[in-house]
Amino acid sequence: MSSAGLPPSVPPAWPQGTPPPGYPPVEPDPGAGMEKRQRLHPLSPLLNGAKSIVVIVAALSWQTLNQLGPTHFAMIVAALAVGVVIFSVVGWWNTGYQVIGRELRITDGLIWRRNRAIPLDRLQAVELRRPLLAQLTGLAELRLEVVGGAKTEAPLAYLTVREAAALRERLLALSGRTHKGSAIGAGPAAGVVAAPPAEAPLYRVRNRDLLISQLLTPQAFFLPIGVAWVITQFAMEHSWSFIGIASTVTAMAGVLLQPIRRVLGDWDFRLSRDHDRRLVLHYGLTETRNQVVPPNRVQTVRVIWPFLWRQARWLNLRLDIAGYSGPEPGDDKTSDRLMPVGDIQTARALVAEVLPGVDLATIATSPPPLRARWLHPIGLRFYGAGLSPDVFVTRQGRVTRELSLVPYARMQSVRVVQGPLQRRLGLATVYADTAGGRSGVAHDRDLAEAWALAEQLATRARAARARRP
Amino acid sequence: MSEPPRSVVNAPEVNALEPWPDTVEWRPVSPKLIIVQLIGLAAWVAVLVAGLSVAYFFGRHSGWLIGIGAVLLLGAWRAVIEARAVSAWGYAERDNDLLVRHGLLVRHLSIVPYARMQFVDVTAGPLERAFGLATVQLHTASAASDARVPGLPPEEASRLRDRLTALGEDRAEGL
Repeated sequence: MSSAGLPPSVPPAWPQGTPPPGYPPVEPDPGAGMEKRQRLHPLSPLLNGAKSIVVIVAALSWQTLNQLGPTHFAMIVAALAVGVVIFSVVGWWNTGYQVIGRELRITDGLIWRRNRAIPLDRLQAVELRRPLLAQLTGLAELRLEVVGGAKTEAPLAYLTVREAAALRERLLALSGRTHKGSAIGAGPAAGVVAAPPAEAPLYRVRNRDLLISQLLTPQAFFLPIGVAWVITQFAMEHSWSFIGIASTVTAMAGVLLQPIRRVLGDWDFRLSRDHDRRLVLHYGLTETRNQVVPPNRVQTVRVIWPFLWRQARWLNLRLDIAGYSGPEPGDDKTSDRLMPVGDIQTARALVAEVLPGVDLATIATSPPPLRARWLHPIGLRFYGAGLSPDVFVTRQGRVTRELSLVPYARMQSVRVVQGPLQRRLGLATVYADTAGGRSGVAHDRDLAEAWALAEQLATRARAARARRP
Repeated sequence: MSEPPRSVVNAPEVNALEPWPDTVEWRPVSPKLIIVQLIGLAAWVAVLVAGLSVAYFFGRHSGWLIGIGAVLLLGAWRAVIEARAVSAWGYAERDNDLLVRHGLLVRHLSIVPYARMQFVDVTAGPLERAFGLATVQLHTASAASDARVPGLPPEEASRLRDRLTALGEDRAEGL
């Protein structure tokens, strides 16, 4: 949405360091001067190429390897790899970024040139990602999240860690309204590295708990059954071919992928708050991620009690930030963790930290009227909704219980929907929409209550918006 | 075990028979929208019937005739539904938010605060233009919000658009 359209007649390339034609040459902001358009790190095309090669090999699969034989297979992969790397190098040559005033401009594209301007006061979160290869080479990818993008709009892959950290600090300083014109944004060069800001640690996952919690998932329970089945299968057929085993192992890995990815992704999860009251999250083993969320950017917080964790009294906290792609089940690339696993006391402290004034222990919800049992034969009492002073609380789910908290100040709109069955029963469902893609849903409330609830939500949202500076 | 209260809000003034959405002043959309919808529906029915007729012409199988009958019946039923659904559309401008209601089978009511407005769309398809109608849609940062008002006369559409943008600027908040 935010692509800065070039006039069609303008030639796509311009000399480095000068503003693109069609823009006013003088920036009105005196604090941040012009600076040279910067390139990404020269190793980036190799790293990007390596990523593509993994995808290619996966796409070719074991079947192809079997049909072609190892030499031909290696040749095909090598040919594709060379092509991919050349393509990446050209792409790298044409990619650049620069900070102009309170905007980050990113130019990329080979055939379709794109010059994108990102207003920094609209920044929702900044994330520094380091995949395994980047960790080995000392590089990092900087991702900026803005609202309205279906995907991350501005991945800068790759920069050196030092550069990326400095750039992030600068962008965040520029984006923070309280920090307008602070010293960090003033330097024309990117090399202004402040001392690492003091962070107050809030939470750290215990890796042992994380491992156990991921063993307590349906996929992990399925594993022994799967292994037994495969062994009996082979014992009956007496066909121990390499390809057969390899394919089976791949299939098993596919099943186990989600819990394994969770363990790798949430490994060593640390949450802290820095001097500007921004949330700072570190996590990951093979791909370390370092995410900074400015205050008042949390759209919803969800508290999840998975069925198999109930014995251990564990739960899981997730948060939604506008800009990250919408809810996709099974997609663990999303950055929505707040607490991978922990007990209720920790969760209570974290929720109070993220949504000030909200206490998980005192939150009360009321269930829908009894006649809604026609729509929810089991577990009606696990549905509920409640208005607490700062957040709209909804509960749902019999097996995996879920509580979602939507701050009134973050609500975008309120909807009341009534289906034909609900009309017969005099019920309606109330939605509180947020920019994060998920809505707080109060299922099957009494109709009069639903109207009143909607009115209350609208009123409270207005009051909450007015309270905010 | 004490039963938790069944109601979240204590709102004694709310009357189940006359809930508040009926106490606000709803503005209807233009009845000409019925004609637009019916023409669109008729076009679909015509295409389907033409296809089935061609099939019958070549196949001479009574199944095709039954198909034509079914399509016509379905079309007639949809026509009744759509004509009634147009009268179910309505919008109301309150001090701080826009209310839009629509739907007959599944009823929707949206409350969108002006402060949350990101942009306003005014669109008019060829058929709508022929009948002098336009659609106004208010977009927020949430994809789930739906505040679309079809079937407005152009002057009403531009009045609504200008009012929405003016109010949005007034109370700008965004996220």
